[in-house]
Amino acid sequence: MDLSSFAGPFLPEILLLAGTLLVFLFDVLGVRTTERVGAVAVGATALALLFVVADLGFAPLTFLRTIPAGQLDAAASGTPLYAFTSLGLVFQAIFLLATLLVSLASLSRPSRDRGAPIFFGLLQLAALGMLLVALASDLIFLLLAIEVTSIATYLLVAYTRHDSRSLEAAMKMYIIGALSTTLSFFGASLLYGAYQTTSLLAIARDGGAAGFPVLVLLGYGFLIVGLAFKATLVPFHAWAVDAYDGAPTDVTAFLAGGSKKVGLFAFFLIFLAPILFVRAAAPGGSPFTSGAVALGPVLQITLSVLAVGTMTLGNVLALLQKEMKRMLAYSSISQAGYMLIGIAVGTAPALAGATLQIFAHVFMKTGAFLLVAGVTAWGVGPLIDDWKGLGTRRPFVGVAFALMLLSLAGVPLTVGFVSKFVLFSAAVQAQGYFVWLAVAGLLNSALSVFYYARVLRVMYFEEPAARATPTGAVAGGSEPPVLPAGGLGYGRATAILLAVVLIVAVGVYPQPVLGAIQAAATHFVNLGA
Amino acid sequence: MLPLLSLTLATLLVGTLGTFFAGARARWVALATSILFLLEVALLFLNYSGWPGYNGSLVPGFSESESYAWIHLSWLQINYTVGVDGISLVFVLLTAILQIATVVYSWGETRRPGAYFGLVLLTCLGSFGVFVALDILLFFLFWEAVLVPMFFLIGHWGGPHRRYAALKFFVYTHVASIVMLVGLLALVFYSGATSFDFAAVYASARSLAAVPQTFLFLALFFGFGVKFPIVPFHTWLPDAHVEAPTGGSVLLAGLLLKLGGYGLIRWAVELLPSGLHTTQPLLFFIAFLSIVWGSVLSLSQRDLKRLVAYSSINHMGIVLLAIALDSSLGLIAAVLLMFAHGIVSGLLFMTSGSVHHTFGTRDIPSVGGITPTTPALSTMIMAGSLASLGLPALISFPAEFTALLATWNGLHYWVFVPLGILVVTAAFYLWMMQRLLFGPPKGIPREAHDVPWYEGAGMGILVLFTILFGILPGLLVNVIVSSPIRGWPGT
Repeated sequence: MDLSSFAGPFLPEILLLAGTLLVFLFDVLGVRTTERVGAVAVGATALALLFVVADLGFAPLTFLRTIPAGQLDAAASGTPLYAFTSLGLVFQAIFLLATLLVSLASLSRPSRDRGAPIFFGLLQLAALGMLLVALASDLIFLLLAIEVTSIATYLLVAYTRHDSRSLEAAMKMYIIGALSTTLSFFGASLLYGAYQTTSLLAIARDGGAAGFPVLVLLGYGFLIVGLAFKATLVPFHAWAVDAYDGAPTDVTAFLAGGSKKVGLFAFFLIFLAPILFVRAAAPGGSPFTSGAVALGPVLQITLSVLAVGTMTLGNVLALLQKEMKRMLAYSSISQAGYMLIGIAVGTAPALAGATLQIFAHVFMKTGAFLLVAGVTAWGVGPLIDDWKGLGTRRPFVGVAFALMLLSLAGVPLTVGFVSKFVLFSAAVQAQGYFVWLAVAGLLNSALSVFYYARVLRVMYFEEPAARATPTGAVAGGSEPPVLPAGGLGYGRATAILLAVVLIVAVGVYPQPVLGAIQAAATHFVNLGA
Repeated sequence: MLPLLSLTLATLLVGTLGTFFAGARARWVALATSILFLLEVALLFLNYSGWPGYNGSLVPGFSESESYAWIHLSWLQINYTVGVDGISLVFVLLTAILQIATVVYSWGETRRPGAYFGLVLLTCLGSFGVFVALDILLFFLFWEAVLVPMFFLIGHWGGPHRRYAALKFFVYTHVASIVMLVGLLALVFYSGATSFDFAAVYASARSLAAVPQTFLFLALFFGFGVKFPIVPFHTWLPDAHVEAPTGGSVLLAGLLLKLGGYGLIRWAVELLPSGLHTTQPLLFFIAFLSIVWGSVLSLSQRDLKRLVAYSSINHMGIVLLAIALDSSLGLIAAVLLMFAHGIVSGLLFMTSGSVHHTFGTRDIPSVGGITPTTPALSTMIMAGSLASLGLPALISFPAEFTALLATWNGLHYWVFVPLGILVVTAAFYLWMMQRLLFGPPKGIPREAHDVPWYEGAGMGILVLFTILFGILPGLLVNVIVSSPIRGWPGT
C-alpha cells in the first residue's frame, strides 16, 4: 500500500492533530473520563510513532513508509520551509516516545480527574509542535514550531488550575518563555539582516562569510541565549528547577524528557550547520582565516564553555538537593550539558553520541519522573529521605528506579553508559582540545554517581523513619507511612516497564538503535556537502 | 572448539547470581562455583597451546580467543574479544586460588552471607574478566565491575572507619579509571586503530611517534598506578586494607593491586614501547620511592594488618621497578612477583584477621608467645612471614631473585636499594615473629583457642601453593615465557 498517495509524508503530524481535535471534541460532548480520552491520545501517538519508525527504514515496517524514497535526506533545492532528514525522523521518534510514555502513565491518573481532556489534548498539541520542530529547515518555521510547543506546555503546567504551586510554576515558565522567544526572534531578525534569507541551509552555507560580522555574531548570540533558556543551559537554567518542581509530576516528566529536547534540537539545526560548513570551507587550514568572521570556532568555544558550565553546576547543585524532584531536575540540567558536547565537537560521531544521549534521557528521566509521580500518589513525601526502605518494601518499583538511576549515572550495561561512552569517545576521536571536553564530561559523570548512589542507599540500606516528614505531607506520627495496597496502575506500570526494558536492552545490545542514529547523523553532517 | 573462556565467565556469572539469592546456603553455592572455576582454570592450563612450545607470530597470539561483534559503527568497532596468553593465565590461576581460599576462610560469615559471598565472587568475576578481556571497552567494563563489589565489601562489612575508607577507595580508584579510559580511547583514536581489539591497537599504536606515546603512557601509568599503588597516590591503600573485612583485604591485596600491574604490562608496556622508554627515569624514581617509603612506613607500624598493608606498597614498588627495566627478565620477574605477592599477602592478611578474632587485637607489642595457645595459627604466621621475607623453597624467593637479577642486568649497583630494603624487611619480620610467636605468653585472653577449621583450611590452601610454586617455579615461568612479548628470547 502506498500511503504517500493517501496522506503524504505528514501522516504522523495529521494523526496527532486529529487526536488533539478528537480529544477536545470529546470534552465538548461530555466524554471526560481519563481512560477514554487517554486511549485516543495513546492510540494517536503510538500510530504516529509507528509511521515515523517505518520511515526510518526498520526492516519489518518498511511497507508503512510515508515519505517517498527520493525525499529523505535529499539535497535541498531552493529555500524550503521544511525538509525530511533522517536525524529529524530520529528526533520525531524520540519526541513521540516521550509523549507515549507520559500518555500511557497518565492513563493511571484518577478516572474523574476534571482536566483529563485538557491534559491529553495539550499533550498532543505540544507533541505536534515538536514534530514540526524536527522538520524545520527555516529559521522562522523553527521558532514558530517551538512556540506551538511552548504555549501548550505553559498551559499543561497549570492545567490543574487550583494548585498554587503549579500556577506559580506556569507563570515563571511563561514569563521566561516569553523573554526567550523575544530574544530568539530578535536574533533571527538580525541574522536575516545579515544574510537576507531565513533558510537555515542557506545561512549555514554562507557561514561567516556575510559582510556584516557584527550582525552575525549578535544574531547568533541572541539565538544562543534565547534557546539556552529552552534547553535549560547554565546560566539560563534557574527557572527550570522551580517549574519542574511545581508542575504536576507527569507534566514534569514531559518537560524534562520531551519539550526540553526541542531546544537542544534547535541547537543542532541552528548552530551545528555553521560549524560544519566553516570546517568544510577550510579543510586542513586554520578555521580562523575563513570568511569575515571566525564563526565556527567562536560557536564551538561558546558551546564548549556552556557545556562544561552546565554539566558542572548542574551536578554540584544536584548534590546539594534534599528533594527528589529537585534533584532529578538538576540532574536533568547537567545531562543537557553532556548533550551540548556533541554539538560543540560537531562531527558525525559526536552528533550520534549526543542524539543517543537524548534518546537515552527520555527513558531515564521521563521514566524516573513518572515513577516518582506514582510513588508520590502513594503518599510518600517529596524528600529523598522519605523514600527510606522503599526498595525492600516495593521490590519491583525499587529495581525499576534503581535501574533508571544507574543508567543516569552511566553504569555499564545500561543505555546511559553506552550513550556517554559513544559521546566521549567521539570527543576524543575529534582530538585536539575536545579531549578536555571528554575529561570534563567523565569527571562530571563520576561526580554524579554520588547523588544517584545516595538515593539507592536511602532506598535499600536505611529503615523507614518513624517520624512525620517536615512537610507534613505524610500521615506520620510514630509509624512509618503506610503504603496503600494498590500498585501503580496498569498504564503507569506499562510505561515504566517499557522504559526499563529499553534501558537494559539498548544498554546490552545497542547496535540496531545506534546504527540507525549514526546513519542519520552522517546524513545530517553530509547535507551540505 | 569449546569456548572455554566464555564458559568460565558464564560459570562465574551464574555462580555469583546464585550466591546472591541463595541466602543461608550461599557459602555452598560459592564453594561449588569456586571449585568449578578452579577446574576450568586447570583445563585452560592443559589446553594452553603456548606450553611448552609456542610458535610465535607477528602480533601477540592468544589462545582460546573468541571474538563476536558488539557495536560496529564506521568509526567505532567494539567486539567481545577474549583470549589468554601466558601472562594472563598466571593471573587467572591466582584469581582461582584466592577465590577458593577466601570462600573457605570466610565460611563462618554470618552477616548477610548471600550478599557477602556474592560480592566476593563478583570481585573475582571482574578480575577474571580484566585478565582475559582483549577489547578496550570489555576490559573497562570488567575493570569497573571490580570496583563496585569491593566498595560494598569495605563499606558494609568493614571496621569502625569503613565509610570513610570505602569512599576514599572509590574516589581514588574511580578518578584513576577515568584517566585510564581517556588514555585508552586516545590510544585508539590517535593511533588510528581499526577497532578496539588488542590486536588492532597493537598493530597501530606501536608506530606512533615518541611524543604522543609518552603522553599516552603517562595517562595510562597514572590510571594503572593508583591501583598499584604508587607513591604518592598510595594513601587509599592502608585505609581500605585496614578497614576491609579479612576476605576483602585478601582480594584487595591479592587481586586488585595486580589489576594495576597487569594493566600496565598489557595495555601500556606492550603497546607503547617508546612511551616506556622516555618515561623510564620517572618510573625508576617512583619505583625506588615506593620501595623505600613503603618499607619505612611498614617498619613503623604496630598494627599487624597495617604492617602487611604498607609492605604491599614496598612489594609493588619492586614490581614497578621490574616492569620499568624494559627487559624480558624484568617482565618475568614482575609477573612472578605479583603472583607471589598475591598468594603471600593474602595469607598474611588471613593470619592478621585470625589474630584479631582470637586475641581481640592486632597490636603487635601487646600480644606475645601465642604458639602454645594457637599452634596452627602460629604455623601459618610463620609460613607467611618466611615466604614474605623470601626464604628459598617458598614462592617469593624465585620471584625476588629474578627481580634482583634483572635489576642488576639493567641498573647494576642500584640493585642495592631493593636488596638492602629486602634485608631490613626480613630482619623486621623475624623480630615480629620472635615477639608475637615466641617468648613468655602475654596479653592472651583466657578463652582464646586455636583458629576454627575453616580459617585454617583457607590459609592452608595458600600455604600449599606457596610451597608448590616455591619448589617448582618453572611451572609458572614456562607459561610466562611462552607469551610472545617484545624482547622475549625468540621473538
